[in-house]
Amino acid sequence: MNRTGSLYAPGNSLFHRLDGAVKLVLFMAWTVMTYMFMDLRVFVPMLVVGIALLVTAGIPFRRMAFLFWLMIIFTVLNSIFIVLITPTFATRLTGTDTPVIPLGYNTINSETLFYVLTLSAKYLTLLPITILCIFTTQPSAFAASLNRIGVPYKIAYAVSIALRYIPDLTEEFRSTLNSMQARGMGISKEDGSIAQRIRNLAAVVVPVLQSALHRIDSVTNAMELRGFGTQKRRTWYSGKDMEPLDWTMAVLAVVLLAAGIWLKVQVLRGFWYPFS
Amino acid sequence: MQPIISFQQYGFKYKNQSEPTLKEITLDIYPGEKIWIAGPSGSGKSTLAHCINGLIPFTYGGETSGSLKIAGQNPSESSIFKLSRTVGTILQDQDSQFVGLTVAEDTAFVMENKAMPRPQMKREVAASLNRVDMLEYAEHSPYELSGGQKQSVSLAGVLSTDAEVLLFDEPLANLDPASGRKAMQLIDDIHRQSQKTVIIIEHRVEDVLQQPVDRIVLMNEGRIAAIGTPDEILSSGVLHGFGLRPPLYVDALRYAGVPLEGVSGLRLPQRLDIPDLKEKLDHWCETCGDVSDRKTAAPLLEVKGLNFGYEAEHPVIKDVSLRIGAGEIVALLGNNGAGKSTLSQLITGILKPQSGELRYDGQDIGSWSIRRRGEAIGYVMQNPNRMITQHMIADEVGLGLKARGVPAAEIKRRAEDALKVCGLFPFRNWPVSALSYGQKKRLSIASILVLEPKLILLDEPTAGQDYRHYKEFMDFIASLAGQGIGFLLITHDMYLALEYAVRAVVLSGGRVIAEDAVAQVLSDPAVTEAAHLKETSLSLFAKANGLASPERFVQAFINAEKKGKGHE
Repeated sequence: MNRTGSLYAPGNSLFHRLDGAVKLVLFMAWTVMTYMFMDLRVFVPMLVVGIALLVTAGIPFRRMAFLFWLMIIFTVLNSIFIVLITPTFATRLTGTDTPVIPLGYNTINSETLFYVLTLSAKYLTLLPITILCIFTTQPSAFAASLNRIGVPYKIAYAVSIALRYIPDLTEEFRSTLNSMQARGMGISKEDGSIAQRIRNLAAVVVPVLQSALHRIDSVTNAMELRGFGTQKRRTWYSGKDMEPLDWTMAVLAVVLLAAGIWLKVQVLRGFWYPFS
Repeated sequence: MQPIISFQQYGFKYKNQSEPTLKEITLDIYPGEKIWIAGPSGSGKSTLAHCINGLIPFTYGGETSGSLKIAGQNPSESSIFKLSRTVGTILQDQDSQFVGLTVAEDTAFVMENKAMPRPQMKREVAASLNRVDMLEYAEHSPYELSGGQKQSVSLAGVLSTDAEVLLFDEPLANLDPASGRKAMQLIDDIHRQSQKTVIIIEHRVEDVLQQPVDRIVLMNEGRIAAIGTPDEILSSGVLHGFGLRPPLYVDALRYAGVPLEGVSGLRLPQRLDIPDLKEKLDHWCETCGDVSDRKTAAPLLEVKGLNFGYEAEHPVIKDVSLRIGAGEIVALLGNNGAGKSTLSQLITGILKPQSGELRYDGQDIGSWSIRRRGEAIGYVMQNPNRMITQHMIADEVGLGLKARGVPAAEIKRRAEDALKVCGLFPFRNWPVSALSYGQKKRLSIASILVLEPKLILLDEPTAGQDYRHYKEFMDFIASLAGQGIGFLLITHDMYLALEYAVRAVVLSGGRVIAEDAVAQVLSDPAVTEAAHLKETSLSLFAKANGLASPERFVQAFINAEKKGKGHE
């Protein structure tokens, strides 16, 4: 996280130039597509497109490393558990059973292995688009486009104001915790049992919360004195107007989603297993 | 000429208070004037500001009496937004004021709320930022700016509204001396160029007076106590009576027995036209300006060759050495980012140095845990509210002992001792919320003292307090030092250092650039500039009047202050 509290990584790729609301539409369409299917023939192309977009966006890897590894580890663990706990699960979907690896209490079949592969691809499909949306969107520009698609500006602005003050609060929390630690009420091992350390952590919340409330009060005054919330509408410095590219992408997202629904209903109804 | 702001027999009482906060205020402010409203905390000056910008009655309700007209209108018949087109406010807390994620966005905030079209907004933002010389920072986030720069951005935002009145609520709070001077300069430039009415609410006298003001309005206990030009107010010597501190050289003149009635030009440390002034002052310096013998105290904390960086290639603390003796008050001076707080975290053990040595009472404490160091070296944060976690006073003081498994009877005894030292014993069974800010500050000291440390680090101990509270608190600290506790004051308040510390250590860019008697350090322009400090008005005054020894003049002043002569 950079010090503005947002994860925005500047750049000039296709995704950087897209309007925030259009990105939200794309993201939703992509997610619906992913959840509709259980078919590797859909996921592989999506994954390829996603990775291509991610690579062209030029986000430094170390910025997204945390999210990246979190998703990978989650997917791997998930697969291991499925295979170990229900080694013949996919038989219910395909009606066939091709034993491969004996476990003693049961035998993993190739249907389940393929199922786990498909499921992992499904989860990973979401990874590039999520990273893209988070890292290529300026929070205030996003607030502006939320407002444009009909979200009341007071709510849209909340996104931006939260990002503005979260780093201040974490800094306050950290310094209070430090001073408590010196008094012997910290959260490290020498400060007592786990229960005691949790109690210490909870105690720090009191002054931090108090200061947050105080902060809310003065920020509210500052915003009111500058005329926030008095007019029916407001304009936004950040962000830009919808351009042909944005309309094209929004339409494309809707068309692809419609095509996906048609595919789901007419052709690729269930779990695809090529070897039966 | 019609006044732009006119109070007539005006009074205001907050909704849930029994006594009015403002009483019988009669004040006319004319377009183009530069007015300074001064007064101690609780004098009603902030409430007066709220009445002018519309927070009263729109945010804080209450009862009013008499009349108030702003640009000919009764504010309660207007709205806070309409008022903001007449009165632009710059708040004290630059962080709360700065709501945008970038400089440009924050400047645009008012225009956004007026629903100005984006292309026009971009042009006006650029123009406004240019006026305060911040255009090149347009895309910077608030975390990349200093307090002074944030304030300039706020000013840019207010200037874009074309408000006729600019209201500055404690513009100098949270700024280091050099930024404070720049801020006053910027306010004055804007005032002269735009002919706007400027109202400044402040309690720091000397800093405000670096630029001319037309009238000073002194507030006390909800009333206007005096109105006058700077010369009238300064030469009459009323400031001390209202918990405000006159410029140091004015006090020095008084200590030296120079009569000030009718003297003009006291606003700045400049040459004064008083017969025999040089002779009188030189004589005073000669008789009173001796440096009191500094007894070398046994070293309590020794820092030797400390190096630290969050990343090895960017050290933030470079080869820092310093020493604090038992019962000594040492000031750690330096601008924001000089490494003051990093150094204090190294001393308390929150950060581990890459190299160097820390000795406490002769022992190497490099391997001591934070907790163990906490029993030897206490750390007191700037804002006591951020340290207090308990509901009852006695519990708060006993907390550190409880965490160390000390028996209840001993906790009680030691907590009561600490409360007695801090003058809070009568309140031991009270809830914390019943205490004033100054008392909470003492409570935070008590809860550290109870662990019986021999050294205490005080982070900005006097920030945001008016002169009376400042003096009360620091006299208390000095009395603790008299009992043998060493103090390290982490501050950018040079007067605090000048009056209370025996030595100053000046950090700049992570290095110690000076370590000497405070008067010496603050008379060295190279050091003061590097550390964003200012040369003291005392030495500037001494030089302007051709005194034989500016250093002796500073020292004579400090000696006179220490004797407690003069005040009250």
